[in-house]
Amino acid sequence: MEEKTESRRRVLVFFWLRLAGFAVIAALMLSYATYVLTPKSDFGICSMINMYRQPEDSVDVLAVGTSLTYAGINTNVLWSEFGIASYNLCSAEQPFWVSYYTIKEVLKTQHPRVILLDAKPSIYERDYTKRGRTILSTYGIRGLENRMGAIMACVEKDAAMGYILGLPEVHSNYERVKLNDFVFPPDNGGRGVDWKGYIEMDEIEHHQRPSLVLNSVRRNMNDREEEYARKIFEMCRDEEIELMLIGIPNPDYAVDHMYYNALWSIADEYGIGGINYNTLDERFGLRFSSDFADWQHLNVKGSMTFSRKLGEDLKERYDLPDRRGDAAYVSYENCAKDWYDKYPDFKSSGMKGM
Amino acid sequence: MNILSFEFLVFIMAVLIVYYVLPLKLRWLALLAGSAVFVSMSGWAGAAHMTVIALCAWLGGLALSALKQREKQLRKGGDEGSGERASACVTRQKLLLAFVLIIDIGAMVFIKYEPAVAAWMNGLTKGKQMIPVWELAVPLGLSYFTFQSAGWLIDIYRGKAQAQRNPLKAWLFVGYFPQLAQGPISTWKELGEQLLTGHRLEPVQFVSGFQLMLWGYFKKMVIADRLAPTTAALLGETGSMPGWMVLGGVVLYMLRLYADFSGGMDVARGISRMLGIELPENFRRPFFSKSVAEYWRRWHITLGAWFRSYLMYPLTTSHAGIALGRRASKVFGKKTGRVIPTALATLLIFVLIGMWHSANWNALVYGAYFGLVMAASILLQPLWKKMNSAFHLQGEKAGVKAFCMARTWVLVLAAQFFAFTSSPRQGLSLLKQSFVNWDFSHFAEQMTAIMSVREWVIAGIAMAVLLLTDILCERGIDLCGRLAKAHIWVRWPVLLLLLMAILIFGMYGVGYDSTAFMYTQF
Repeated sequence: MEEKTESRRRVLVFFWLRLAGFAVIAALMLSYATYVLTPKSDFGICSMINMYRQPEDSVDVLAVGTSLTYAGINTNVLWSEFGIASYNLCSAEQPFWVSYYTIKEVLKTQHPRVILLDAKPSIYERDYTKRGRTILSTYGIRGLENRMGAIMACVEKDAAMGYILGLPEVHSNYERVKLNDFVFPPDNGGRGVDWKGYIEMDEIEHHQRPSLVLNSVRRNMNDREEEYARKIFEMCRDEEIELMLIGIPNPDYAVDHMYYNALWSIADEYGIGGINYNTLDERFGLRFSSDFADWQHLNVKGSMTFSRKLGEDLKERYDLPDRRGDAAYVSYENCAKDWYDKYPDFKSSGMKGM
Repeated sequence: MNILSFEFLVFIMAVLIVYYVLPLKLRWLALLAGSAVFVSMSGWAGAAHMTVIALCAWLGGLALSALKQREKQLRKGGDEGSGERASACVTRQKLLLAFVLIIDIGAMVFIKYEPAVAAWMNGLTKGKQMIPVWELAVPLGLSYFTFQSAGWLIDIYRGKAQAQRNPLKAWLFVGYFPQLAQGPISTWKELGEQLLTGHRLEPVQFVSGFQLMLWGYFKKMVIADRLAPTTAALLGETGSMPGWMVLGGVVLYMLRLYADFSGGMDVARGISRMLGIELPENFRRPFFSKSVAEYWRRWHITLGAWFRSYLMYPLTTSHAGIALGRRASKVFGKKTGRVIPTALATLLIFVLIGMWHSANWNALVYGAYFGLVMAASILLQPLWKKMNSAFHLQGEKAGVKAFCMARTWVLVLAAQFFAFTSSPRQGLSLLKQSFVNWDFSHFAEQMTAIMSVREWVIAGIAMAVLLLTDILCERGIDLCGRLAKAHIWVRWPVLLLLLMAILIFGMYGVGYDSTAFMYTQF
């Protein structure tokens, strides 16, 4: 009788062990399938995954925000001309709630001296993020708590489970899967591991400098954007990280002005400042007729001009070390070298094809 | 709670854990709690309705049992007048049974058919609303739990099942959650004792249940739901569609219905098996049937069995049925006359089965069609026998089997034209359209306009897998049992492959509105 009980117990122990083993293998396979089926866009997904591959505590300036940031802040210029080790961790239409969780995640491995916060999300009126944007902004985050936090902030409660599990939101992408989707980590659009999150836009679109009435009228931000902007301000204060608001030049700025005023006034409450490059008296060489890829984004030439000015301002405002020549920062050197090799015409701020 | 949702999977895991953690004697309480949660999450009105039906079954069952006991005692006693009192007792049993069945089935009939009947009658009076239209929410699995509880009562009356003293146990039998969505309809003998007896965890059985559940999800999510928009497109705007497309659409509709319904059944049976409870089979590869009668013995088996057991047999063995048989024998001769009551009962039952599907003319035509085919096959049996022998259509030869299967397919397929159309006229016109304009010149464009090539390939592979497994099962190979006992090097890859296929190629998630099981609202 005892023998029988013992044998049954053994059978059950084996059964549970096997069940656990099966569950682990299934979970691993499903998580890999989710990775394969997730679109590998340069921004959001790739820049986040690539962030984990950066040496610990190697980023001095972290830029978070929208597409204006990843197309506008040329990390290669900041490195090669100022020795600033910077990284763009942005995604298209990134709201402040994504920026918040992104920064939180980065702070696990990096302790940047300065965080540049794109002011653009202050104009967004949506309470939640679009589906595609949510995937691109959150699926790269590995930390479960921050990933879930970002997802819960992006989508309504009822829809969150699909995003948290991952696969339900991307499984139907099997029609679009390419061979290099199976490679982990992603190759960042051929840029390699040294890439620092700058995404160049080659096009040229002719615009005019917006005629602005520089008043101080404020237009209230969306409540949730304001809530998360405040959270970012508080987090940076608690972590003793300098936060700088940044208004990246764009031809469509006139619409944004009153929202930016509101953001700046909230930042004031925390003693946080910033530079709105749309309202500077000094023109720093930016040409609206040739420096934009479209109605919002700086092109390569524009990003170089703007980044030079940004580099100067960062150097002037903060005590940022020049990391050039430091062996620990060789990846920045490699990234800049690769990029300048790709765009030789821009070495002297010339314009490709002109 | 949607059976295709993540919440449902979490719910199942919770039920499984609680079930196997509780002591054997109390395990039925886990099923009861699980069923209560499931039913209440499907709507309070439905839960209340089901509870009333369960209460009727419980009280009616106890009363019938008591009357039966009394009748037994009276018959045993042999006192003067005890025979009469026993007969009175039987009459009371009959009246009681009829009363409870009228409440049970009356409520179902009212909810399902009142809106359609009222609308039809109001239509006759040129728009004047003579009868109010009560658009009551149909409780989840209305006819399944109604039939199950009615069957239980009839079995108690027949002395084939026991009543339950504990109302919670009676409620559990009526509202056992895996079978609520779309059956199967079980008898007390098949399910009652199983529910109340605690089951020990048996690894092989548990794995087999898990496999069956996965297989059900595969059929539903990869095949049925993939074909859903395709069949809708094929059968929606058929105006200038070539005949082969219309016919193809109907074939796909039939396959979709099979994958959907039998898939849901496999999920229910799989979950039950994981709990150590074996639910009756509801589908046994119906498309391998060699006659329409066999088809109905393989398709929705428990519904057919319910009608046969609780309606057809009582009808044919009743005094009226026997009398009809005698009279018919005098008029048509012994052979034919004897089967006339059976043929008429079959016709009636199929009309009712048709009407069970929906309260519209199409359902009536659908049922009557099968009823006529079945009645004809019964009445003309001697003629069929002669013809089969003349054309050598007897025996187990492959060619004969294939011919008989094809014939059944054609007969069953014809009925499907009335299953999804909005009126018998539309069904007939579609049937007519399927014979004309067999133009294949734009085959590729027309097919890819409905579904991309890749989707067709996925659907094709999935259906081929389904066909292959059905062929193997038809040959007597117990695939599920074999796989459950197979070495993990064989079992795990198969299960992982199945799991991945469901989660990657299944139709669910955002951008896709997960369709309910087609037979849920019956």
